[in-house]
This record gives sequence, structure tokens and C-alpha cells, in this order.
Amino acid sequence: MKKAKIEIVGMHCASCASNIERSLKKIAGVKSANVSLLLRKGTAEIDDNVSEEDLKKAVKRAGYNAKSITYE
Amino acid sequence: MSKMNQDTGKLEENIEIHMHEHEQQDSDEHHHDKPVEDDEIKDWQKKLVGAWVFVVPIAFFMFSERIFGIKPVSEIFMTILLLFFGFPVIFIFGWQTIKAGIRGLFTFYFNMDSLIALGTLVAYLTGILSLFSSIQDYSGVSSMIMAFYITGKYVEARARGKASQEIKKLMELGAKKARILRKNREEAEIDVNGIKIGDILVVRPGEKIPTDGIVLKGESSVDESMVTGESLPVDKTKGGNVIGSTINQDGILYIKATKIGKDTFLANIIRLVEEASSEKVPIQVLADKITGIFVPSILILAIITFAAWALFFSSLSKAIAVGVSVLVIACPCALGLATPTALMVGSGMGAKRGILIRKGEAMQTMRKVKYIIFDKTGTITKGKPEVSGIESNVKENYLLEIASSLEKLSEHPIAHAIVEKANIKKYREVKNFKILRGRGIEGKIGKKTVVIGNRNLMAEKKISVDAFEDAIDNFESGGKTTMIVSEDSKAIGVIAVSDALKEDSREAVALLRNSGYETVMITGDNEKTANAIAREVGITSVIANVLPENKARKVQELQQKGFVAFVGDGINDAPALKQSNVGIAMGTGTDIAIESGDIILARGSLTGVVHAINLSKATFRKIKQNLFWAFAYNTIAIPIAVAGILNPVFAEIAMALSSITVVTNANLLRNKKI
Repeated sequence: MKKAKIEIVGMHCASCASNIERSLKKIAGVKSANVSLLLRKGTAEIDDNVSEEDLKKAVKRAGYNAKSITYE
Repeated sequence: MSKMNQDTGKLEENIEIHMHEHEQQDSDEHHHDKPVEDDEIKDWQKKLVGAWVFVVPIAFFMFSERIFGIKPVSEIFMTILLLFFGFPVIFIFGWQTIKAGIRGLFTFYFNMDSLIALGTLVAYLTGILSLFSSIQDYSGVSSMIMAFYITGKYVEARARGKASQEIKKLMELGAKKARILRKNREEAEIDVNGIKIGDILVVRPGEKIPTDGIVLKGESSVDESMVTGESLPVDKTKGGNVIGSTINQDGILYIKATKIGKDTFLANIIRLVEEASSEKVPIQVLADKITGIFVPSILILAIITFAAWALFFSSLSKAIAVGVSVLVIACPCALGLATPTALMVGSGMGAKRGILIRKGEAMQTMRKVKYIIFDKTGTITKGKPEVSGIESNVKENYLLEIASSLEKLSEHPIAHAIVEKANIKKYREVKNFKILRGRGIEGKIGKKTVVIGNRNLMAEKKISVDAFEDAIDNFESGGKTTMIVSEDSKAIGVIAVSDALKEDSREAVALLRNSGYETVMITGDNEKTANAIAREVGITSVIANVLPENKARKVQELQQKGFVAFVGDGINDAPALKQSNVGIAMGTGTDIAIESGDIILARGSLTGVVHAINLSKATFRKIKQNLFWAFAYNTIAIPIAVAGILNPVFAEIAMALSSITVVTNANLLRNKKI
């Protein structure tokens, strides 16, 4: 279990944030996802097997871009 | 004399030059740091200007026809004009919206754009269709919707930027450069990211302290207001802790870096504020659920509305207009922004005053709090006890010598006070040292067994304190904590220690009691001492004789009667803070990496508790107001659109205003005096 912090580009409305949350939660191994429109950031609690690529793809799938991902 | 003046003059000049250099470097750095949002605002601004350049003539054509009845050109030519001018509005300036919206429709990740895209495209299409059929032309309406949508987004982006202004200021607060003292005694300017723990840094007057550290040499006062809210400069001497990003005022300080990068005080503050503002507050759960299903629901509703109008009123044109109105009037943004913007403004305001909200939920819980329990030592009092009385039937020096030899081995603040008072160079050798938690200490000096502790410990060891009964009584009535010193089971003296109240404790307690809170003090002291201090500070209810590990249980007991806020330090009181409904942890002014407590007060002053409570309540009220407006807007506006009373352009204006209102209302929180 670790925490991924994702910087997201292109969000501009509240449903954008909930779309990304939904998309992140679809990845197997993502326990929770919380996206803040104001901070342009998402945090996800993930298992170790979830790759950076998975997260980026999920953000992309919802129509946005992940600029950077850091782990805690 | 005049030479000295010249010299200082030069020094000042030097500093000024340095500061200018810093400023320039600062602005360079910022270019890399924060452009995302500014770029976004600029981007919307470009679209806004572009769109209106074309929409103004469109509006002119439409109104000259409708209002003045002037038809400058034939109907068909008019439609072609509207389509021509509208094209860049929809397909150039609105292209990103259209693209994202359509994409959302196909991937089932519907968003705001999907509604606007569908609404404007359908309306634009009617223009084309009207050339070949009897359908009414709404292409002018289409461009106006897009223009108002872009305008709304622009205003909203700016307001959102304003909501996060405090946190942005914090992010820009950090020093960029540091002056490092190399091994060869030479100073060199380095980037702040190049600092390593243990580096020695030189900070001149007027400069920012580059990172957290400890003063090795020098004396100065430091302005810490930017991170702790403490308005008065804080004096720093050798051994004092300094916080990175605070400003050195009058002397040169040589400091050793103790924390760097994301471990610093400032980095922790930023992290806390960010986390707090992206936290979910229970009240927002419903709004979030609705936001999640909002867009698809509106799409379905628009289709049903369109079908119903087309079927029952048999006017395809009217049905299209009503359907478009429904699409563009609905706004998930007001719902989605209601809570986070208020939280963001609230936590930013707090950070400025040294109040850090760790759990957004605390703001909601705070309303229900009835009891506020204060830990005594370090919370109500300064936590720096001093020996204030000694009674002894042996020589005072001897008493202090054996007492301090034992106390030297303890970490307890009272132990420090006794060691400090004794102020001796050579301590006796102590064997079999033992800490009797919450009661005292014992050990062997030479052949004698020495026990130092409170009454309970003496009773436990069957040591009579009769000889000192009066002295103890006297000390305790004066609010002093009294330690009895015994040698081979015989009391030989008592040492009284008092811990002064913090300057603002009394004021804070009075304010809280006036606001209707029940204030309670919890302490390990015995009742007499505790009551004396409670009286002094104005607290009526006391829980005394509590061992540290039992504080959480006492909190739990009081929770049977109502919601409890616990105010204490973040380390020893962690379990009690956790047990309470709202845990308020007092920082020491230099350490903020506190993991317990829902709210952290950077500066350990008790009035901070009053401010924290006021801020929580004000922020929560804002959240409620915002959610009310957002819900009210959507429940009123959507039926109006369905009923077909509203022109689609006005529907779009109403939508834009709803989210702007919510964000602006959140920003208004700043006007509230905390």
C-alpha cells in the first residue's frame, strides 16, 4: 500500500474531478481515489503492483493528462 | 564614529544589493513554479476575447431584427451570416470544449463539456437545417451560449485562483538561495535545494532563513509571522531553533541546517493545508454523489424533455430550444465547488494565523462540541517549570545535590527545573535508577536509597511526610507542584515547582466560557495544586491526579455527556487527542510534524483555540450556505428550463452565475473576523 499523488492538467469542472476518480478506481489495486479540482491534484491509495503507467492511462481515459506522479 | 557610519552604510548597501538579486531570482523561479493556473486563466481570456469579437455582431443582427423589427438583410442571408460568424465561436474558440465534450459522450466519461457541446452543436445545426426546412434558426443562440460559457469559465477560474491565494503565498514563501559557510571559512551562495543537513549557513539581517536549523552563533530577532501567525519578532540566540522562510531581522545568525526539503516546517504546513482542502467533509457526500451522476442524468432529462415537447406540443423548434435550455442550465460545478472552495479559503486563512486544519471533518464536528478539556502543562502553562520554594530539615545545598543527581537522569520538565536550580558541576553517582511513571523517581546514592516524588509515591513507599505537612499544604494552595525528597525512607525536604500561565490563557478561557463552552483542566497534579491553577486561569472543572496513560479514558468518560475537544501537546497527549471528537494539538513553534490532532496550532498560544473554533464554525457555515445555493439553484433552474419558460441564452447565463456565486461566496469568508 502506498499513496500516489498525481498532478493533473486540463480539469475545469467538478464532473471532471469525479470522472477521474471513477476512472482511477477502476484499476485493480486502487483502494481509494480523491481528486481535487482546486489543487489540480489527485491522490490514490494503491497496491504496489499498480504502475505509474496504469495511473496515467486512467487519467487519460477520463480525458485528462497526468503531468507527474509522486509517491509517499 | 563617522567611519563606522560609513561602514554600516556600506553594509546596508550590500544587503540591499543582495536583496535585489534575490528578488530577481525569485521572479525567475516563479516562472517555473506556478504557471499552470495563470496559463489557464490566460487561455480562457484569449478564448473570451475571440468569442465576443464574433458574438457582438451576431447579437447586433439578432436584436436589430427582434427589437427594432429592422431586417437589414433577407432571412436566408441572415442565417448564413449567423452561421458564418458563429463558426469561429463554436469551432475555434469553443473547440476544446466541443472536442472534450464529444469525447466524453463516446467514452461515457460525461462532463460539463458534454452538455455544452451537445447544446451548442444542436443549436448550430438548426441554423444549417433552417436553410432547407421550416425549422427555426438557433445558430445565433448557439454562439451566445458558447460565449457566455467561456466567460463564466474565465470568471470562475479567476475566482478559484483567488480561493487558493494563501496556499500559493505559502508556496512562494520559501527561500531560493542560501549562503553556506564552507570548511575553509569561505562563504558561498548556493541554491536552497543544495543544502544538506548539517551545513552551516550564514543569514544576514533582512534575509530569509533558508531552511530549518539551530543557531550556532549570533543573536537576532526573527519575524516568524508568515508561518506561525506570531506578530512579534522572536528572539533567537545560540541553541535556538529557527524556521526556514522566516526573516532574520537585526543580527547575523550562523545556523546549522537540521531539516531540509519536504521535512521542513514550511513544507509540512503546505502539505497540511493542501491535504485539508482536498479532504472530504461528511456534509459533502451527497453533493459528490450527485455530481458523479449529474451529467448523464441531465442528458437523459434533456432527451425526455425534447421528446415530450415534440410529441405533446408538436413544435420541433420549440422542443429543440427547450432541450438545449435543459442541457445548458444544469451545472454540476456549483455543487462540486461548494465545499472545496470554502475549505480552501478557510484552511488558507487558518494557515496565515498559525492554525492548521488537518481534518476537514473537524470543522463539521466542532459545532457539536460542548466540553473543552485542556491539558495543564505546556498548554495552559508555559511548560517550563521553575523551582519556587524549598523546605528542608537538612542543608538546602545537600538536598538539591542529591535531588538533582537523580533528576538529571530524567527527561521530565520538573526534573529540568530542579537540575537548573541546583546548578552544580559534579553530580553524585546514582545506581539502580528507576522512573516511577506519573509519581516520581528512585535510585541509590552511595548506600542510601533516595526516593523523590509526590504524596502518592510516599504513601506507596510508606514514608511519612508529617514533618512537611504544613509546607506542602502551603505550596499546593499556591498552585505549586510539590516533590518530596526522601532518604532511606525518611522525608528530608520538599521542593516546590511552579509553571507560570501563558500570557493569554486567562483571556482565552474567558472567551470560551462566554461562548458557552464547559472548560475542563486535566493534570497529573493533585487536586489542591490543580484547583489553585484552575482558579487562576478561570476554569471551574478539574480532573486531577490523572496518569498520562489515563487521559484518553477520562476523555472517553466525559464523552458520555457530550462532544469533547481536547487541547494538548501532540506527543504526550496523542491518545487523548485521538479519542476526543476534535483534537487540537499545540505546536511548540518549531515542530509541526504532528501526526495526532485534527487541528494544529503552530504557535502554542491558547487564544489560538478560540480562533480555531471561530474559523471552523465560519468555514462550516460557508460550506452549508454554498451547498444550499447550489442545490437550490439546480432544483429551481432545471424545472424552469424543462417548462420552457427560459430562453437558452439566459439559461446559460444563469448556469455561469451559479458556479461563480458559489466560488465568490467562499472567497467572502475572508471578510469574516476570526
